[in-house]
Amino acid sequence: MSQFSLFLGKEWREQARSFKLVWVPLVFIFFGVLEPLTYHFLPQILDSVGNLPEGSDFTLPEMTGADVYASLTGQYQTIGLLVLVLAFMGSLSGERKSGTGTLLYVRPISYAAYYMSKWTAAVLLAVVSLWLGYGMAATYIVQLYDHVPAFSDMVLFLLVLAVWIGFVVTLTLTASSALPTGGAAGAALGILFIGMMIDSLVGTYWTWSPWKLQAYGLAFLTGSPDSGDLAGALVMTAVLAALLVLFGILQARRNAAKAKV
Amino acid sequence: MNMVLEVSGLTKQYDGFRAVDGLTFSLAEHTATALIGPNGSGKTTTLSMLAGLLRQSSGSIRFSGTGKDPRSAIGFLPQYPNFFPWMTATEYMELAAGLSGMGGRDVRSECEKTLGFVGLGDAGKKRIGGFSGGMKQRLGLAQAIIHRPALLLLDEPVSALDPAGRREVMEMLKELGESTTILYSTHILNDAEEMTDQLLFLRGGKLIEKGPLREVREKHGGSGYRVLFSGQEAAERFADAVPWAASADGSAVMISGETVTMEELLRFASEHPAGITDIGRTAVRLEEIFMKVVGKP
Amino acid sequence: MSFTEQLAEIPWGLIWPLIVIQLILMTAALIDLNRKRSTNGPVILWVFIIIFINTLGPVLYFTVGRRHS
Repeated sequence: MSQFSLFLGKEWREQARSFKLVWVPLVFIFFGVLEPLTYHFLPQILDSVGNLPEGSDFTLPEMTGADVYASLTGQYQTIGLLVLVLAFMGSLSGERKSGTGTLLYVRPISYAAYYMSKWTAAVLLAVVSLWLGYGMAATYIVQLYDHVPAFSDMVLFLLVLAVWIGFVVTLTLTASSALPTGGAAGAALGILFIGMMIDSLVGTYWTWSPWKLQAYGLAFLTGSPDSGDLAGALVMTAVLAALLVLFGILQARRNAAKAKV
Repeated sequence: MNMVLEVSGLTKQYDGFRAVDGLTFSLAEHTATALIGPNGSGKTTTLSMLAGLLRQSSGSIRFSGTGKDPRSAIGFLPQYPNFFPWMTATEYMELAAGLSGMGGRDVRSECEKTLGFVGLGDAGKKRIGGFSGGMKQRLGLAQAIIHRPALLLLDEPVSALDPAGRREVMEMLKELGESTTILYSTHILNDAEEMTDQLLFLRGGKLIEKGPLREVREKHGGSGYRVLFSGQEAAERFADAVPWAASADGSAVMISGETVTMEELLRFASEHPAGITDIGRTAVRLEEIFMKVVGKP
Repeated sequence: MSFTEQLAEIPWGLIWPLIVIQLILMTAALIDLNRKRSTNGPVILWVFIIIFINTLGPVLYFTVGRRHS
């Protein structure tokens, strides 16, 4: 068996036995259920909370299906990213710190296979979790809302977001390869959220950025994004991710010396 | 003699201090070498460099008779081996075997056999998270030998075990030593005395003494004979009379083992029996040599 | 509105997945906790967090509560 498949088997088992395979998808599914429900029942919820002044009369904006997807995407951009970074921050650094990596590093292993197996397992889990979340949301949205996006647009939307999530996970794994667990989480979250801030400030001029992907993806639900900008952002993300992977592999090899003996 | 490993000028420099300072030694095929030294003398750093975990600051490490990646010819057991707690022992062994390049249908049976050898035959299906320290140590040995390495590097392989477990593991190591070259660190000198072809004494990262046990012994008091007398006078008279290197010490006379055989000594003693109460062999204990070589400030 | 009426008002058909998710997360976290028994902070504290903080409790346990060793 190749080292990659051996390592992948190990990652798979680890995700299953640490319940990662259960809780990560469930968090995404949870928000996928909660978001459409909240907006649908918002009038009743406000009513039952009952602290509105008597006779006050205001109309809630009418939410379309696309609006709910956008709002859910906002949730995934904060809590979703946080959960993914926390779930994968120790992927490599944890094995150095606990010393479980030591007995791997003394064998004639390929660090590319080592890193890529973790990358494959983590990206698969993250993307499938994200899709399950949106899928669950879709089952509610088609029941409760008007103006539901077409299926083909949803597929494009989900593919673009998968690239973004792949970038997030790659960044987290490379941070875990280069830094101790705490630093890895800080660095990954820092870069992600600083990127978002920069995007919100000068995003109009910086159209080819990974941080633009979620906006471009959402644009499929209400119309279609500028195909040139989308292609540029996708290529830029792919190039950055490839560089991160390369850097992650080199760091995994270099930091093997830091594994606890 | 075929050398498995030749180390020359091996040095590890950290900011401000040298953990390992200019080690030069070689390991002959199928010999056992004990790396002896107090805590902090650089034993683990040395083994880590040999295992390829740490890069040396200077000096060379040469393995002979191995392919391009020497790590496939090495089995390494850290002092406190850490395993994935969610794995079973068999799963771990199969991963270790696979990563060392073993393949095919024999891997499974080979893993079972090795687990059996270290006394974990019944624990293969149990998760390592529930293992005791001793069981982990045994599994550590099993993963180090699964790929039949030419060189076994063991960091304090028995010091965490209880006396019975220690005995058992020492027997395993002796058995392995017949077909493998072993370099192990220890601070338990009885163990080193039991299984060693070569001794390496480390202090402060420096190799301060090396050689076969017998030679080191000769050098530091050596082995020889001790003849006891009823009194000091008789002892001195005997010491003067013997034609070999001898010294009187109170009512005892020590005779160097290099110059005389037991048979010759007994013949001489029977001709000069005055005051003799006991004749025996002495061997300087490794512990005494250790104190002499390493213990001085 | 009486309590039973209020109960009947709740759209169970729509929200049962939330309850199932919470139960699965809680069970998984408790099984894992029972297996490891080593956490950052007192074990009993985590038992309470897992049981009483909806959804977030088990997720907190899985991300920061477990001691990796």
